Amino acid sequence: MENELREKAKELLESGEVAVVIGYGFNRKKTRITPVFITKPEETDKLVFNELCVNNLSIYLTRKYRDIQKIGRPAIVAKGCDIKNIVVLITEGQTKREDIHILGVTCSGVVYKQELFKGELKPEIMPSKCHNCDVRNPHVADTVIGEKSDFTPPEEPTGMVFDKIKEIDAMSDSARWDFWNEHFNRCIKCYACRQLCSLCYCERCITEKNMPQWIETSAHPRGNLAWNLIRAMHLAGRCTFCGECERGCPVNIPLNLVNQKLVLTVKNAFGFESGIDENVHPPMIVFSEDDNENFIK
Amino acid sequence: MPRIGVFVCQCGNNIEATVDTQKVADETKKLPGVVHTESYKFMCSSPGQDSFKKAIKDNKLDGVVVSACSPHMHEKTFRRAAEAAGLNQFQCEITNVREQCSWVHHDETRKIGTDKTMDLTRMTIQRLKKNRDLTKITIPVTKRALVIGGGIAGIQAALDIADGGQEVVIVEKEPSIGGNMARLSETFPTMDCSQCILTPKMVEAELHDKISLYTYSEVEKVDGYIGNFSVTIKKKAKFVDESTCTGCGECWEKCPFKADSEFELGLSKRKVIYTPFPQAVPNIPVIDKTRCPKILKDKCGLCAKVCGPQSIDFTQEDQLVTEEFGAIVVATGYELMPNKDFGEYGYGKITDVISGMQFERLASASGPTGGAIRRPSDNTEPKNVVFIQCAGSRDEKRGVSYCSKICCMYTAKHTMLYRHKVHDGQAYVFYMDIRSGGKRYEEFVRGAIEHDGAMYLRGRVSRVYEKDGKVIIQGADTLSGSQVEIEADMVVLATALVSRPGADTVAQTLGIGYDKYKFYNEYHPKLKPVETVTAGIFLAGTCVGPMDIPESVSQGSATASKVLALFSSDKMAREPITAEVNKQTCNACWDCVTSCPYVAIEKEEIKDRKGNVVNMLAHVNDGLCQGCGVCVCACRSKAIDLNGYTDEQVYAAIATF
Repeated sequence: MENELREKAKELLESGEVAVVIGYGFNRKKTRITPVFITKPEETDKLVFNELCVNNLSIYLTRKYRDIQKIGRPAIVAKGCDIKNIVVLITEGQTKREDIHILGVTCSGVVYKQELFKGELKPEIMPSKCHNCDVRNPHVADTVIGEKSDFTPPEEPTGMVFDKIKEIDAMSDSARWDFWNEHFNRCIKCYACRQLCSLCYCERCITEKNMPQWIETSAHPRGNLAWNLIRAMHLAGRCTFCGECERGCPVNIPLNLVNQKLVLTVKNAFGFESGIDENVHPPMIVFSEDDNENFIK
Repeated sequence: MPRIGVFVCQCGNNIEATVDTQKVADETKKLPGVVHTESYKFMCSSPGQDSFKKAIKDNKLDGVVVSACSPHMHEKTFRRAAEAAGLNQFQCEITNVREQCSWVHHDETRKIGTDKTMDLTRMTIQRLKKNRDLTKITIPVTKRALVIGGGIAGIQAALDIADGGQEVVIVEKEPSIGGNMARLSETFPTMDCSQCILTPKMVEAELHDKISLYTYSEVEKVDGYIGNFSVTIKKKAKFVDESTCTGCGECWEKCPFKADSEFELGLSKRKVIYTPFPQAVPNIPVIDKTRCPKILKDKCGLCAKVCGPQSIDFTQEDQLVTEEFGAIVVATGYELMPNKDFGEYGYGKITDVISGMQFERLASASGPTGGAIRRPSDNTEPKNVVFIQCAGSRDEKRGVSYCSKICCMYTAKHTMLYRHKVHDGQAYVFYMDIRSGGKRYEEFVRGAIEHDGAMYLRGRVSRVYEKDGKVIIQGADTLSGSQVEIEADMVVLATALVSRPGADTVAQTLGIGYDKYKFYNEYHPKLKPVETVTAGIFLAGTCVGPMDIPESVSQGSATASKVLALFSSDKMAREPITAEVNKQTCNACWDCVTSCPYVAIEKEEIKDRKGNVVNMLAHVNDGLCQGCGVCVCACRSKAIDLNGYTDEQVYAAIATF
């Protein structure tokens, strides 16, 4: 599979069809996977793909990384779940489908965090999204690499996140409030969640807007709550549940819970899932006279 | 430091009763930035406004707050006064302390009202400190009006606009203008012949050099906004070249095929190539493509052979044209409630039960009988005719709940016409109430009863059936308390007037509102009866609701005055309460574009000096933007703000509370 990937990358670079291949490679000590940017055909051997490749590389297609865009037309190695983010970026005009070459890789799951990997991919070190993955075969791609997966996701989503959501839903309002306050109080406003998120592409984030200051920027509980809730609302109907924000959070705020809850809410209210069709805008952001309004109580 | 003036109005006793306005003025003066406060009995009166202007000048105020009634009432008054005193009018803000404070509190100690007024006033002051000078937006006006519907209301609107020197296009669905009025025989209360008074106006519209007629055409699509509408019109194929046809009539003389005449409501036949009636304007025939054998199966083509100027063209196709207009007058008219809805009156089953409009055709000199009253079944002269009023009207269960307004009058007219033509005939009228409000209307109905011997029976008809060539009517006469049975030769139903089928689709195309009967909604039923909520679109005639000819004509003229006022200058000014995109922070995610209900946000190309497109950003079209603020909420990076209601202003107001 890796050979196939390297061959294709080489071919793309040699033909000049793309100027850079955004993919996965090993660090110098060969202990961790890190993003690599290949611009020379002879360097394509650096490309790898394995169960450690948890990173969502679609962030390098956003306006946050103008320097990468300046290199030229990119090819991007993307798992199905990463492709969902690319689809949202296309929907929101951040890139054009014809401006990128998607090297879709079939995937049989990745680790939740690289340091958990001890030579074998066990179900307990895989994130919830992998247990319920419906895009192990890339759904939008220019080239599909790897053997076709015949994995079918369970009908009822399973995994820790879903169990926890049920648990929180059952809580009383005050208990839920305490639960979240406890977690958000830890926030140190490092904005790692935002920096890792490919859908947080705003050049000026709302938290950086003063006059008026929407969000208190100090790591104060009140500002923390505002920041985390506003970020959640900004992702509602857009978040694809890639899990990068939680993976990057240095104080372990369970952001996946917030985001997956919103994914479920939007799915129930509008029957919409983000990242599937690039031509469909998230329903909350579209004015339509035929809106189903039965969720307004 | 700002120099703000606060003016607290007592509104007679309206505000003063629950608000100590002098205390509000005294306390407010202590706030930073406030240099002048006063309380006055009627701020909106002319001495009130004079002191308002004087205070602005004397104290060199740079912002004013008027704590008074709703801004809907006097915002304009005070902004104008502020402008007269040399202030930017958008530096004048109103605090609503009447509707939202004094009227809703009944505290005799005046504490609640006073405290709340101070809170509200303080919020406005803080808001005002963040106000920016705004200037009214000017948008260009295309001085060309579109009139949809060529009935009497539409014709009147078009003539008045054209006489005012502006170009007008009339779009009419039928092959001729004239509408329903062209069908009428005589008109109440003066009994002048409908066609005699209508056709001169039709001809005037045709010959007017400022009016273009698009007959046999329909409006397909409307884009744009006041002053700048772009309208797509479908010109249905007439299969006749309008530029060469002389209207000689040779083609419809020779055409061997016939169909029921829509204009005569099925009382007679027309040819397959036809004009709806002899005085049609334009006098150019159309071919009914659903019935013409030449078009259907390439047989016949006789009309083309006899046509002198060779105007017939069987290959013509529907044409779509897109044209620019500054204003639209909607005058799409009415129709009568469909026949099938009157089972109990035998309509559709009994040939001699006809509608009021069919009676008009029988009585019309140009109608199928040449003006002689003949019943449809055997063409004999009916000696007893029963008129049933409120057929469908005021009948919530089976018809419509409203009164169709014109039926009392036209039924009285029918009885008179009948007696004038059949001297020994007897007319009976079943009625619920006689509604004859209007100049010389009551006298007209009395005339029908007293001079022309119509027998008015107050009551409803329970059954109508056919027996031995007669129509038997059973009903109640509630005044004498008896049941009556009449053997009639013919029955005329005063059927309810309803909106046209497809009226809702037209409304959706135009973006105007309609009620449950699909009559169009006025902006305000009393004070803005010909305006709609969509600026630049006006309403005339029976598309709004039942009305008679004088009212329709008045409305036509009223819309013309609105259109001419709009066209009186090359540019029109509007409130600058519109959204604005900060080009530095726009991410071009287009969430504002998809969320805008008014399609007011465009993707603007940003070009470098060489003209290459370097970026695309959102751009608000000031003409279309209604200032609703949806895009402001949708924008994640807060790159959009609403002028006059900026985030800063709202924050400042909340922060002080």
